[in-house]
Amino acid sequence: MLIYLRKRIVSSALPLVVVIVGVFALARMTGNPASLYLPLNATQQMRDDFTARNGLDQPLLVQMADYFGGVLRLDFGQSLRTGQDAAAMALRAFPATLQLAATTMVLAVLLALVVGCWAALKPNGVADRISSFISMAAASIPDFWLAIVGIWVFAITLGWLPTSGVSGASAWVLPIATLLLRPFGVLVQIVRGSMVSALSEPYIKLARSRGAGDLRVVTHHALRNAAAPALTVAGDLTVGLVNGAVVVETIFGWPGIGKLMIDSILQRDFAVLQAAVLLTAVAIFALNILIDMGYALLDARVRPVTVKA
Amino acid sequence: MSSSKLPIARALKWPALASVAVLGLSGCTVANSDDGGAAAADTVRVVLSQEPPTLEACESNLTSTGVVVRSNVTEPLIERNPTTGGLEPKLATEWKATSDTEWTLKLREGVTFQDGTPFNAEAAAFTIDRAVNSKLGCNVEGYVFGDDELAVKAVDATTLTVTTAEPDPILPLRLSFLEVVPTSTSTTEKVRQPVGTGPYKIDSWDAGQKITLSSWDGYWGDKPAYAKAEYQWRSESSVRAAMVTSGEADVAMGLSPDDNIGDLGVDYPNNETVALRMDANEAPLNDIRIRQAVNFAIDKEGIVNSLYQGKHQVAAQLVPEGIVGHNSSLSGWPFDLEKAKSLVAEAKADGVDTSKQISLVVRSAQFPKITELAQVLQEQLSQAGLNVKLKMLETSQHLTYQVRPFAEDEGAVALMTQHGNQAGDAAFTVDQYMLSTGAQSYFGTPEFDAMIKKADAASGEDRKKAFEEIFAYQNDKVVQFAHISHQTGILGLAKSLTYKPNSSSGDELRISEMTPAN
Amino acid sequence: MTTSMTDSAAVPQPDAQQPPTKNTAAGKGGNPGLFRLLLKDRFAAASALVLVAVGLTALVGPALMGDLATKQNLLFANKAPFTMAHGWEYFLGSDSLGRSMLARLVVASRTTLSVALPAVAVALVIGSLWGVWAGYHRGWRENVSMRIADVIMSFPSLLLAVVVLYVFSPSAANIVLILALTRIPIYLRTGRAESAELQSRTFVDAARTFGAKPNAIIVRHVIPVVLPTLLTLATLEFCYVMLAESSLSFLGIGIQPPDVSWGLMVSQGRQYLQTAWWLSIFPGVAIVVTTIAANVLAAWLRIATDPAQRWRLALPRKRLIVRIPAKEAQP
Repeated sequence: MLIYLRKRIVSSALPLVVVIVGVFALARMTGNPASLYLPLNATQQMRDDFTARNGLDQPLLVQMADYFGGVLRLDFGQSLRTGQDAAAMALRAFPATLQLAATTMVLAVLLALVVGCWAALKPNGVADRISSFISMAAASIPDFWLAIVGIWVFAITLGWLPTSGVSGASAWVLPIATLLLRPFGVLVQIVRGSMVSALSEPYIKLARSRGAGDLRVVTHHALRNAAAPALTVAGDLTVGLVNGAVVVETIFGWPGIGKLMIDSILQRDFAVLQAAVLLTAVAIFALNILIDMGYALLDARVRPVTVKA
Repeated sequence: MSSSKLPIARALKWPALASVAVLGLSGCTVANSDDGGAAAADTVRVVLSQEPPTLEACESNLTSTGVVVRSNVTEPLIERNPTTGGLEPKLATEWKATSDTEWTLKLREGVTFQDGTPFNAEAAAFTIDRAVNSKLGCNVEGYVFGDDELAVKAVDATTLTVTTAEPDPILPLRLSFLEVVPTSTSTTEKVRQPVGTGPYKIDSWDAGQKITLSSWDGYWGDKPAYAKAEYQWRSESSVRAAMVTSGEADVAMGLSPDDNIGDLGVDYPNNETVALRMDANEAPLNDIRIRQAVNFAIDKEGIVNSLYQGKHQVAAQLVPEGIVGHNSSLSGWPFDLEKAKSLVAEAKADGVDTSKQISLVVRSAQFPKITELAQVLQEQLSQAGLNVKLKMLETSQHLTYQVRPFAEDEGAVALMTQHGNQAGDAAFTVDQYMLSTGAQSYFGTPEFDAMIKKADAASGEDRKKAFEEIFAYQNDKVVQFAHISHQTGILGLAKSLTYKPNSSSGDELRISEMTPAN
Repeated sequence: MTTSMTDSAAVPQPDAQQPPTKNTAAGKGGNPGLFRLLLKDRFAAASALVLVAVGLTALVGPALMGDLATKQNLLFANKAPFTMAHGWEYFLGSDSLGRSMLARLVVASRTTLSVALPAVAVALVIGSLWGVWAGYHRGWRENVSMRIADVIMSFPSLLLAVVVLYVFSPSAANIVLILALTRIPIYLRTGRAESAELQSRTFVDAARTFGAKPNAIIVRHVIPVVLPTLLTLATLEFCYVMLAESSLSFLGIGIQPPDVSWGLMVSQGRQYLQTAWWLSIFPGVAIVVTTIAANVLAAWLRIATDPAQRWRLALPRKRLIVRIPAKEAQP
């Protein structure tokens, strides 16, 4: 396992560089930021000064070499927008997103396991129909819309929750509920699917014939089969959340990396964008390694180190 | 699938471990900020549309920075009364032109900065030098002063002279944009959290979350009613409105008429004007009849009444009432579709290719309902027989059309522009938008340029007259613009607080003018 | 996201002895039966009906209602729905510019589908083939492919969207490009995992010993087995892509007016939530209904084309002991 881990980490280095090079080059295709940062009536002289001051007049390769030189010295550049250290801004925003994503996923997995198992006990039964309807609907509602409706209902009409912000535990409820729906909806369907087929396996029938009840059959026998696929998918969904909490963060004023990223893209704040992408990329790579390892642990079939039988 | 002995324990181990980790994590950092739900009665909670990029004083002409800093943390030498348009003393008590190019200012005594150092002519001179003559690249420099350097001299502790290269009748107005900082402020770097002479000092800035100001005991003027001000930001206007409704904020900036803020909403003229700017270098807009047709084809009354619930005003020029040079005798172009059609037909008969595409370039999310407005304009111009393609662009891209050097090979462009004259003098509008070389002007004429140059150098009543003529002339002879409306801003205001917004509230929200209700 | 193993469990893994092609053969051979089976399942039948209706609407609707959808009337803005007082065109109310909501929804259905379907199809084809190929060969091909998938997954799709908007013009085709590109890794990973597992199975080994070329084995033996899982995934993705398109609209970097999609309508309508709810609710409902229908039908299809599970559909509504009607159970 350790050898595998080391190999994966080493082999992730190059893709990380590719990501940064790609972001670097693509970001610079979106135009010179000068007019965003200078007054509308700025003279050409001022534009040239700005461009030169930020090294944007250099050829792309030179800029890139400078950047990577800086990265080696742990200097990720400065934000055009705030003048702060880009890496510091990214590091400050990242935990907020991570907490949101992790809490959401834990809840989504637990809820989905319960609902999915319940539905799988009687395929095509009432519980199954209801839960699959709910989960499909949950997975197909636009999140920004849900967020705004949530604020309207729970914060304004009922007054139970704060509209937005990060102060106090109650402020977590709406963002998490909004983020939760899609992973929950997808996971329910997955857990249900794998439970249904697990429950039709011979050993389950054997267990039932020995008098095991529904609950016991599910928790003691079938759950393991459901857990492996659910965990894999959950991992991938988490990746999606880390990258995709932008909308929720934007609406709820959550100071996370998604909001930082969209702002720095729209504001052409290249250094911050690169730092944020690098950080999330590292996190996603790490998560992918964890997923693969977790999966290998739970399901020996695709253990990556095994040689062909 | 063989061993089924301990699967449940294993299967649940992961989520269980994860949840422990998460709960551990979430205990700290983000959720940790103190409970903002019920703020103390001595705090004003303001919700802005975006986080200020910086609070640097020499960038305070940026709306998002100025709204926090100006007149709260820092103060200018001279300030413009947004209601009367007149200049009033602030850190300077009097000023006069001592020659064609020299102004002398008398400074207020007994003022100290929040770091304890005294305010004097040296600090004032330092501020001007730092903002205008340094290599910092301050935004205010480009916006207000252009390339011209200023020579400043501290004559004695309370006397300052400022010398300009060319005669500048509105120098005091320009100076009102400079927020004074102490000599200890860095001249090589911009300062995110400035020290000023204002009634509030910066307490803390939790990046991404909030900024807190608290009142400063050593303030030279009256002590403000509120001891603290807390700024948060939300980009959705409906969320900002909701925060006021639900009591999480006292003041919400930049609301839309459809946010349903009800009687907590306060309207105020925000000095912004919306217009189409037409490129006369390209067919078919190179024919003045087509540009006139555009003006006739737009149903400004209908737009104002339907989209903006009658709160905006139909515009006939780029500046609203209250700006020096506003011509109150002008009225908006009447909506006359038949006239527009016949103008287009006339131009076509004279060989103008009226079927050529006109790009209607619009910045998405620039102001409430801009998407709707853009689609209405596209429809109405099409009705007049023009071939209009709507292009909704994001800010950076829109800027390549908005300012020189203009995007090339784009054919005829009609650009939707929202212009806010923060300064109160038409020169700030006309120089940019109407000079043939103006940063935001597609074209001009030599006679028009001469008129503008003359107006720029004039002062007093002459100046006013000269600019009034310029606005009339643009509508008669140049027609670069199709004006649509002067906008009205909406501010959400909690019942517990009294505040009267004015035309500069969006750029400079004075906490000291807010008082608890009853 | 990856349903990788998701349905690998739900979808029956053919035994080593069982040639996997049986699966598709059963599907094809049983077409008339399939239709009868569909009629028996009310939910699946309703879903099929909904999808056909949506498809037809997208196909012919814009031609019929295109003009109506752009006809503005500022004096007639935000009229409430569910009344025939203003004529059938306004049965679903009017939008903020007085246009018929009904006509806008119809016209938007085409844009929505012409973004979602190609995006899903392109990502499905490229991602699956690539993944299956990588998983079959394993070794460096697998490693390189997976790292490429990592790169794409950790690449901010928002940046891609802005680049595309900036460099090209904002059009539906470009949105398709972005969405397809960013969703390829999902299929790649799933296809890889499934095929990596299959390539060690006896029937693949047998084919190999008989000297079949790798590509032939992939096409004839691996893809047919993996396909149901990937198709299920694609239906889930269909929903995701519609939502992603609307999120891009929300962030201002998706479909741009005067084009209109359901996602854009929800996004634009959100500011009227409290004054004219129908502006964002109707397109939202359209998205939800379409995706639910697609999912229900896909779930049903998965079972119906699977001989091992087909009997479930024939069950009486009350839960009972298994009773397999003889003719349905025949593969």
